[in-house]
Amino acid sequence: MSDRNEKLVTVIIDGIEIRVPPGVMVVEAAKQAGIEIPVFCYHPKLTPVGMCRMCLGEVGLPARDRETGEIQVDDAGNPIIRWFPKLQTTCTTRVSDGMVIRTQSEQVAFARRAVLEFLLSSHPLDCPVCDKGGECPLQDLTYSYGPGRSRFDYEDKFHFEKPVPLGPLIALDRERCIQCARCTRFQDEVAGDPVLSFENRGRGMEIVTYSDPPFNSKFSGNTTDICPVGALTSRDFRFRGRAWELTNTRSICPHCAVGCNIIVGHRAGEIRRIMPRENNAVNEIWICDKGRFGHHFVNSADRIKTPMIRKGGRLVIVEWQEALEYTAARLREVRAEYGPEALGGLSGDRASNEDLYVFQRFVRTALGSNNLDQWRPLQDVAGSELVAQVGVGSGTNLMDLGAGDAILVVGADVEEEGPILYLRMKQASERGAYLAVVNGRPTKLARYAEDAPIIRYGGEAHFVLGLLKVMFEENLTDSEFVAQRTEGIDEWIAGLAQYDLAALADGASVSVDDLQRIARTLAQAQNLIVSYGHDALVAGSGPALIRALANLLLVTGHVGRANNGLLPILPHNNSQGAADMGVSPLWLPGYRPLDDEAARRHLTEVWGDELPSSPGLDAGAMVQGGLRSLFVMGADPVGDRPDLRQVFEELDFLVVQELFMTDTARMADVVLPAAAFAERDGTFTNAERRVQRFWEGVDPPGVARPDWEILTDLAHLMGHRFGYADAEDVMEEISQVVPVYAGMQYSQLGGEAPFGIRTRLHFVYEGTSFVSPDQETGRQWPVAAEDEKVRLPISWIAPSEMPAGDPDYPLLLVPQKRLYDDGTLIERSRILEAWVPPPVIYINHADARRFGVEDGDPVAVTSPSGDTKLTAKVGGRVPAGIALIPLGLLGSGVWRLGIDRGIVKGRLAPVKEAVVAPES
Amino acid sequence: MEEHIVLRDLDVPGIDDIDTYMAHGGYETLKRALKEMSPEDVTQVVAASGLRGRGGAGFPTGRKWMFLPKGVYPRYLVVNAAEGEPGTFKDRQILEHNPHQLLEGIILTAYAIEAETAYIYMRGEYLKALSQIQMAIQAAHERGFLGNNILGTDFSCHVYLHREGGAYICGEETALLNSLEGRLGQPRVKPPFPAAKGLYQKPTIINNVETLTNIAPIVEKGADWFRSFGTEQSPGTKIYALSGHIRRPGNYELPMSVTLRELIYDYGGGIPGDREVKAVIPGGVSAPALTREHLDITMDFNSLMEAGSMLGSGAVIVFDETTDMAWAAHRMMRFFSQESCGKCSPCREGTYWIVNIMTDLMRGTGDVSDIALLEAVASQIQGNTLCPLGDAAAGGPTLSTLKHFQEDYIAHVPVISSQ
Repeated sequence: MSDRNEKLVTVIIDGIEIRVPPGVMVVEAAKQAGIEIPVFCYHPKLTPVGMCRMCLGEVGLPARDRETGEIQVDDAGNPIIRWFPKLQTTCTTRVSDGMVIRTQSEQVAFARRAVLEFLLSSHPLDCPVCDKGGECPLQDLTYSYGPGRSRFDYEDKFHFEKPVPLGPLIALDRERCIQCARCTRFQDEVAGDPVLSFENRGRGMEIVTYSDPPFNSKFSGNTTDICPVGALTSRDFRFRGRAWELTNTRSICPHCAVGCNIIVGHRAGEIRRIMPRENNAVNEIWICDKGRFGHHFVNSADRIKTPMIRKGGRLVIVEWQEALEYTAARLREVRAEYGPEALGGLSGDRASNEDLYVFQRFVRTALGSNNLDQWRPLQDVAGSELVAQVGVGSGTNLMDLGAGDAILVVGADVEEEGPILYLRMKQASERGAYLAVVNGRPTKLARYAEDAPIIRYGGEAHFVLGLLKVMFEENLTDSEFVAQRTEGIDEWIAGLAQYDLAALADGASVSVDDLQRIARTLAQAQNLIVSYGHDALVAGSGPALIRALANLLLVTGHVGRANNGLLPILPHNNSQGAADMGVSPLWLPGYRPLDDEAARRHLTEVWGDELPSSPGLDAGAMVQGGLRSLFVMGADPVGDRPDLRQVFEELDFLVVQELFMTDTARMADVVLPAAAFAERDGTFTNAERRVQRFWEGVDPPGVARPDWEILTDLAHLMGHRFGYADAEDVMEEISQVVPVYAGMQYSQLGGEAPFGIRTRLHFVYEGTSFVSPDQETGRQWPVAAEDEKVRLPISWIAPSEMPAGDPDYPLLLVPQKRLYDDGTLIERSRILEAWVPPPVIYINHADARRFGVEDGDPVAVTSPSGDTKLTAKVGGRVPAGIALIPLGLLGSGVWRLGIDRGIVKGRLAPVKEAVVAPES
Repeated sequence: MEEHIVLRDLDVPGIDDIDTYMAHGGYETLKRALKEMSPEDVTQVVAASGLRGRGGAGFPTGRKWMFLPKGVYPRYLVVNAAEGEPGTFKDRQILEHNPHQLLEGIILTAYAIEAETAYIYMRGEYLKALSQIQMAIQAAHERGFLGNNILGTDFSCHVYLHREGGAYICGEETALLNSLEGRLGQPRVKPPFPAAKGLYQKPTIINNVETLTNIAPIVEKGADWFRSFGTEQSPGTKIYALSGHIRRPGNYELPMSVTLRELIYDYGGGIPGDREVKAVIPGGVSAPALTREHLDITMDFNSLMEAGSMLGSGAVIVFDETTDMAWAAHRMMRFFSQESCGKCSPCREGTYWIVNIMTDLMRGTGDVSDIALLEAVASQIQGNTLCPLGDAAAGGPTLSTLKHFQEDYIAHVPVISSQ
């Protein structure tokens, strides 16, 4: 951190003397002095262009003697000011010492009125039917500065067909556009998808999209926030309500693990729109289109509204009382007859911390079993325990990364897995941070990387061990840190000694040069963040890779500080929280082992209940068959894996607590309707371990209730008193029994502080995203490395052997996680349908020729575990020998290939008939 | 005038051929400069000559070159051949008939500013000029005046020809740079100035064709020789492109001490039918109109500035006493409105609005308040735009004709007979 006080310059704005950093724009300096300069094209996150001319001001500089450079003074000793002959755009004028600015003079007022009159001369003034009405800078600035009436003949206005779709999500009203270029600059500079541009000249200039499909960007919705008029509007929100009629509830995006802060704007019990809420540590003022448009599941007509019990083979609607009593009785019966080991609980990782905590308590006490796990397609890997050790330090903010810092991303397609994180990594790279993107295929983030080697799938751990080998050979490690803060280094060095650098490079299929160059840069970085994601996990190098990444951070001392450490790109919004809460057969809340006596004692005391002591089954084992009863909360194992149907049919008693009638729910004996995120209070913990609060906004459909509340009632009927009155009570207990959540009471997570009071100034300078008073909300829980007294274990996990080639199956079938799929939540946002591809398989031209396949052909894809039909997409940037298969697409049947659990080998063959329609 | 400095094609027929050009001393200056002079020497001579830019702004050329930040490379030279100012056809004659003198000037300038790449950004409609320059570049290459290690020295220079797409605004230097880079042809905010951050954000010098065609003679004959023409503040000759109501329209290369009256009557042969001058636009349609009161001013940068107009490109358009100046202004404003790039709001909206008001007047559907409104709208543009186009449109055709020829506007207001 540089000293912020160094080299400030003094400027005088409207007689107010203020000290600001040199080089800031006058408009920003004025803001600091409490002086409002109206703007349209200026936006603090975009390159200034000085187009709209609204911010004109008088600017003068002290006159200097040509010879000596000294400031000239008048007789009274005051500096002589040389005024620029013309008004200057204050959004493009950088302050310098002694600068004098006037923003309130008659000349300036005249210019502002002039610019407004000009802008309004081509504007339709259709405010009564404009979605921007009420949060529109043009309206507001006209109110403040404008002429009361126009001298422009209304008949001379331009008229266009309105609106036209600019893309699947965004509508363009050309009449309203004031040609400020905020949207084009956002797409060029922030999103990095330069798909918008101006076409034509002068008054005929209009915004067009050049991409095919149109407006091809995952961030398109943000342009509607920063558009200073109603030219770009959301096709989803269009005519769905006036801005001032909406009730705005603070919330957290329920989709990916980035945890963007959002506002749920609702009216009459229905969500009308999702807007970004400023949090500079998480999402700044942006959200992705999935977050913005993917909310329709909440108000979907097919939500489960009532409890149901299977009677006579059919699920019938019942009262809560009956459903809960029946469920309690049946679970007790099974427990009594077969023992607690015959019961188990599976949960998704999307529910809130409160739900997940109560869920594990329910399974451990009311069911009495440690058969408890999250249902995730990638069961075996998450790395949560290592995150608890060496996760990114508290106070981490990717916005702080710049020159001298480094980010290493291994096996992740960050744009698809965490779009806003992608933006922030891109920006860090643009600020000068070193970015290395390592994967088995090219990804979009690689555009911004200094190094982006394409490695062999499965060779991820080899790659990282190769980096470590270089670091040791070249003495680039922080031996002092290793000696003082870690343990187990010797065993680890012995493990690494079995491999030479050339072998590791060969395993990853990269050059030794690459390894050396990247290792040197990473080791010398001031700050280092290391990320991994879905691609690394499906490649099967999971445990060895994550261990190796943790070790890399440890031996270079890049842990325990802000902006250093491990940042996994986890699959869902609360994957981290689910692990933290102890939804695991192996550990109690807070990663304490089942046999941690102190922890057990504490929990027993708080819960007033006995805890099962024997390790339970994990999710994989639970679906092998053998259990008598399963309680499933917010997960759809049968939908994900239709081959599990048999196992679920054999259960004596299946309870499913859900939002929708999933395939699993259809098989249940009892279905319990749960409330969605916007319908209740709670917290999610994002990939950076930031615990973030969200608030109840709309009512749940029918009699649906929050998960924790259902479980609390059920436990009570089964003789276990949890005693939670509200979600806050649950978090109160979590803050007591989960050590790292100490201090996470609701009062500390944003409380009831005023928020979202968007002033006119905010609309003008930033857009319609919502303001947070403290800009950063939520709290990161500290990792072990932050405690100076903790010695951090380093251990050795050997990388897995590379499988030998198989002539029968010459391709690697790589499952790809896409932002837009046909998942339960996205499927119900029809507006996003345009972005969801049909079931496809991507291969490159050489492989297409080898298998006699052409672009668009139906193909049979075969793996050792089964086959399915897909449409071939030839080209793109898939490496030879790799076939990329997006997951989660309707009708793809790709589960039969077994790829939901990782990469498998396979082959292709052209088939005659077209790919048949969806089967599930 | 004994001899032309720039329009040497008038004295030496066939000088567009490299052999003819060389037979008359062509490329000798380049040979001598590369051998005997440092880049700084060349810059010094040009600075001492007092040569001012012939594109319109009249900025001292040598001083512009000296603005290049030290030690930042690569640098680029961009030749502004996007001659789009209505009434202007002076660069065209050079490009079509004296291309090698321009090219020699380009190479000398590239040497002076240490640029190895020069782009000629050429008006798209100049088809003959395009082929002439293309052939000249090729011929110069063949003789070793262009390419790597020119004449055996360390200096290399490559010249590329770029054909403009037909936008007036791309004659504005920063819009030109955007267009050359493949971006939207809209002006950039200054600062940074092109000398600091120009083409591809690198130090760039942009000079007009006529300016560069002066370079070889200046380097050959020296600053004092050049200063023996014209005035103290505006040394050298200038090509005046004479058009409008004039007996002998055409390009006249004259010292900048010539008066407007001499230009019109002595060189241009006066006005057909011996009618009176009503108005003169002395520097292309961007320049405010003058009246017959101004005929005795000298046609140099400073005198025209003092008279409330500007030398601009040196396109002198003469209007005789039969001209309806409101009608003429309407024609000119339609041009500006058509050519406004749309980047900044006062120009985009204001020029359109002015055209609407003027159209109303021309149709006889305006009223007397429109004349005040015209003045108001033009004043709202003036001084508030991003680049000079809007300022020129407001201050040139609109405000200057309103000032000097308001009766022409009033004549378009229908007379409502009082009962």
